[in-house]
Formats: sequence, C-alpha cells, structure tokens
Amino acid sequence: MKKNLMLAATLVCGCALLAAETYTFGGSTTVQPIANVAIEKFTASKPNVRISYEGVGSGTGLKQLSEGTLTLAGSSRDLKKSELDAGLVPVAIASDALTVVVNKDVRVANLTKDQLAGIYSGTIVNWNEVGGKDEKIEVVNRDETSGTFGAFKELVLDPKKLAFTKNAIVAKENGEVAAKVASTPGAIGYVGLGFVEEITKAGGKALAIGGIDPSVKTTLDGSYPLSRKLYMVTKGPAKAGSVEKSFIDYVLSARGRVIVKEAGFIPLK
Amino acid sequence: MEAGLERTFLACALVSIASVALMTVFIFRQGLPLFAKVSLPDFLLSIDWFPSRDPNPGYGILSFIVGSVFVTVMSLAISVPVGISTGIFLAEMAGRRFGPFLRAAVELLAGIPSVIYGLFGIAVIVPLVRMIPGGNGYSALSSSIVLAIMVLPTIINMTEVSVRSVPNELREGSLALGATRWQTISGVLVPAARSGIVTGVVLGMGRALGETMAVLLVGGNAPIMPAGPLSMVRTLTMNVITDMAYAEGTHLTALFATAIVLFVFILALNVFIQVALKRAVKESTR
Repeated sequence: MKKNLMLAATLVCGCALLAAETYTFGGSTTVQPIANVAIEKFTASKPNVRISYEGVGSGTGLKQLSEGTLTLAGSSRDLKKSELDAGLVPVAIASDALTVVVNKDVRVANLTKDQLAGIYSGTIVNWNEVGGKDEKIEVVNRDETSGTFGAFKELVLDPKKLAFTKNAIVAKENGEVAAKVASTPGAIGYVGLGFVEEITKAGGKALAIGGIDPSVKTTLDGSYPLSRKLYMVTKGPAKAGSVEKSFIDYVLSARGRVIVKEAGFIPLK
Repeated sequence: MEAGLERTFLACALVSIASVALMTVFIFRQGLPLFAKVSLPDFLLSIDWFPSRDPNPGYGILSFIVGSVFVTVMSLAISVPVGISTGIFLAEMAGRRFGPFLRAAVELLAGIPSVIYGLFGIAVIVPLVRMIPGGNGYSALSSSIVLAIMVLPTIINMTEVSVRSVPNELREGSLALGATRWQTISGVLVPAARSGIVTGVVLGMGRALGETMAVLLVGGNAPIMPAGPLSMVRTLTMNVITDMAYAEGTHLTALFATAIVLFVFILALNVFIQVALKRAVKESTR
C-alpha cells in the first residue's frame, strides 16, 4: 500500500515536472535585481511556469539571445546596429542615472563628462584644473562588484577606453559614499539618483554634468549625460500570448514600476 | 548521573572541535580551486588586484598582505609601550582608589563593539590625522591608531596579571638588596613576567590582524600598496568583506583564498602562543 502511494506520488510529481514550462532569461547584472523580483512575483500565480535569470552581462546575454540559448535578455546599454540588424528588439523598461556629488568646500558646480573621466582615471588630480580652487581631489569610488560601479564605468570611462584610478577611497554602500564625501574636504563621489537626498542632507552637493542638473525629468528625456535606459530584449518582436510578452508587460505595469523603483531605478512614465 | 554528565560535557567540547574542523575544510574547499586558474606566485606576489577587469582580471593580493602586516606592526608600536606601562602601573603602583577605577575603564574598552571604534575613527581620528600630519585622513596611520586602542585591554590585562603573579619574595628580595622601585620593575618583575607579557602582545597582534569593521571605516580601502603611514590601505580582512556581497565565480574564490591566507597567519600566531606558553610553564617550574 505504502509502495503504491509512493509510486503514485512519483508519477504525479513527474507529470507536474513534464507539464512545467521552463524559460531561461539572462543578461545584464544591472537588470538582474529587477528581473529576479519580477520573475518571483510573475510566476507566483503560474505554477507551471519556471523562469531563471542568468546574470552574464549585457553583451554575453544579447549574444546568447541571438544564438537562441536565452529567450529574453536584459540589457543595460543601447543595442548596437549589428544587434538590431540581427533582429533583436529592445523594449525600454527603466531609466538609471548617476549623480556626481562633492564635498561642500568644492567651488565647482559643473563638470563635463571628459573632466569627470579625467578625474576618475587619475589624470586630473587638482580642483584648479577644472576651474576650482587649489585643492587635491579626493576620489571616492565604489566596490567593483556593485552595479553603480559598473554603470559609472560604462557611461564615463569605457567610451574613452580609460580605467579607474586605484588611488581612490573605496566605499561599500551609497550611504558610505555619502558619509565620506560629506566629511572629506575636496572629495568627489557618485551615487544612484535615488540617494542624492542622503548626500545633500549630509552637507554635500550634486554637480551638473555638461550643464544639465540631474533629476528624474532630465533623466527621462535623456538630456542628462549620465543617464541610460535599461532594456528587455527579444529576438523578433515578442509574440502576443507568449510568456516573454506577458513578462515584459508585467514589468511595464503598475506593479512592475514599483519593483523598478524599489530596485533603485526610475520607472518609465 | 555522573557518566551522563561526563558525556554531555564531552559532547559540548566536541562542538568546538567540529566547528574549527568544519570551518577549515569549508574555507579551503571554497578557496583552493582558485589555484587552478591563478598561479600561487601571481596570487601572493602580485600587486595587481582587479577581478572585474574584462579581459585579464588581476588577482594579486601582495598589497593587502603588506597592508595587514604594516597596520598591525604600527598599531603594536603604539599599543605595546602604552599597554605594558599601564599594566605595570595597575599591578604595582595604582592605589586602592584609582586602581579599580582604571581597571573598570580598561574593561569597558574591551567590551566596545568594533563598529563603534570605526565610527569614532571616522569622527575623531581621521580628521585629526588629516589636520596634523596631512593627507586625506583615511590612512594606515588612522587604522593603526584605532587598532592600538582596541588591543590595549588585551596587553594591559595580560601584563597586569603576569606582573601580579611574580612571587612576592622576588619583589621583596630585590628591594631588600637596595634596588630602587624602578630597578625592581625593570630588572626583576618584567623579566620574570615576560612570557605572560609576550603572550598578551601576540594575542593583541591576532586581534589587530583579524579586525575588519573598524579598519574598513578608516583605512580608505584603496587596493594599492601602502607607500607610508599616510597612504590609504586595504588589509586582507577588508579585501574579503568589500566585494563579498556580489562577487561570483573566480572573484568569489579569490576572496576565499584571501581568507585562507589570513587563516594561515592567525594559525601561525596561535602556534607561536602555544609554544611560548609551554616555554613559560617550563621556566616557572624550574
């Protein structure tokens, strides 16, 4: 009797496994926090759908998407022409912006993207080189596994093929950046747009980049230079009724926007 | 009843042995695979730490080994003279009134959580270092000062206890021979108590080497070779904790391998203590 029960149980489980549809998504590690929470909530009401998200980076994710290993890829950069030509279709799901903050004794209110790259690669070391007073620049960087570090690298240093200076204070959290920038004369740091208030409260100030002040508005219209869009990408337009299509729709829905916001990004209007 | 108790106690004793064994196995299992990808010299003797660089990531931890040793030695340079003097003062000179007060203060110092030391470092030590010797304040020197305060209680307590346990005949004999108080302390008491004092210093060294949170907040954490006391520093412990949250793959393995290096350092220190203690016991029974 017991044996029969177990046999029956095994059969039921086996059938359930066979019936489950498995999907592999992947790509940008920046998109991962959004994707992971969205997948969890999205599949909660769909016991037969299993989705995993592999954080392999935007480039690798898009490559695997066109090869068919993934059916949906997250990307934290715009698609290249070759990728668009290969039939990949991006849908913007969120905006991300970095804010550059400085100690209150710094007299500079605006930096160009080139000057910022110079400061973070170590070629500009004094504030008087960018129109400020004669004071050493104390660079505050993030730990290299953080998404904020990766975003700054992609937006500021990578286009000029520069590498971060190692002569920088390394802070583990946005809050630690805030504390160290606010307390160290001549300090410069960067945080996600959502953390600016924390910095200004601690006595620091946010810089304009290329004459544009960071805000939700300048981020959404794309004029702020340190902003970027996050995408979910499919090979060919996502088919109506497919899991990929309904997942993207879920991320763009009111509930998805809450997830985006909680992950520290700006939901699209 | 007796036998049952004995077994219970034995079981409890085995828990700590099992914990040590499990920890050792775990750290080595997680860290050793690194050496399939990175050679041992490239790991221990290179200063190029940049695991997220793509391609050609760098996994050299020499700067952090040097950083750990540098900060520990500097902190001992501060804490050993102060700690030993305080310990001798407590054992020999502090009166009935002041002694207990000082002792309570030292014990309080020992009980303060390390993150508080770190915050104190950011608020007081870092600005002081920035103002007086210069630099940005986040430095090996700031870390050493914070660590020195943290290891003081260990050195003070060990010194006091071992000076106190020097037999009274030695003390009285020295004074009876006409030695001054200073001569008695430097010529009789300290030499007689030396193994205990050394043990205290080595224990303090272990604490300084293993401390994470306090140095993380004041050391600057730049992955560079420290060029001097005012240079920023990253120690082995800081390196493990900085990237632990999100690291994956070879990067994560490299963090565990860093922990192995730290583990070996601490193990060597402990073996040294054991040997020193054994020698001390031999000396005192002779």
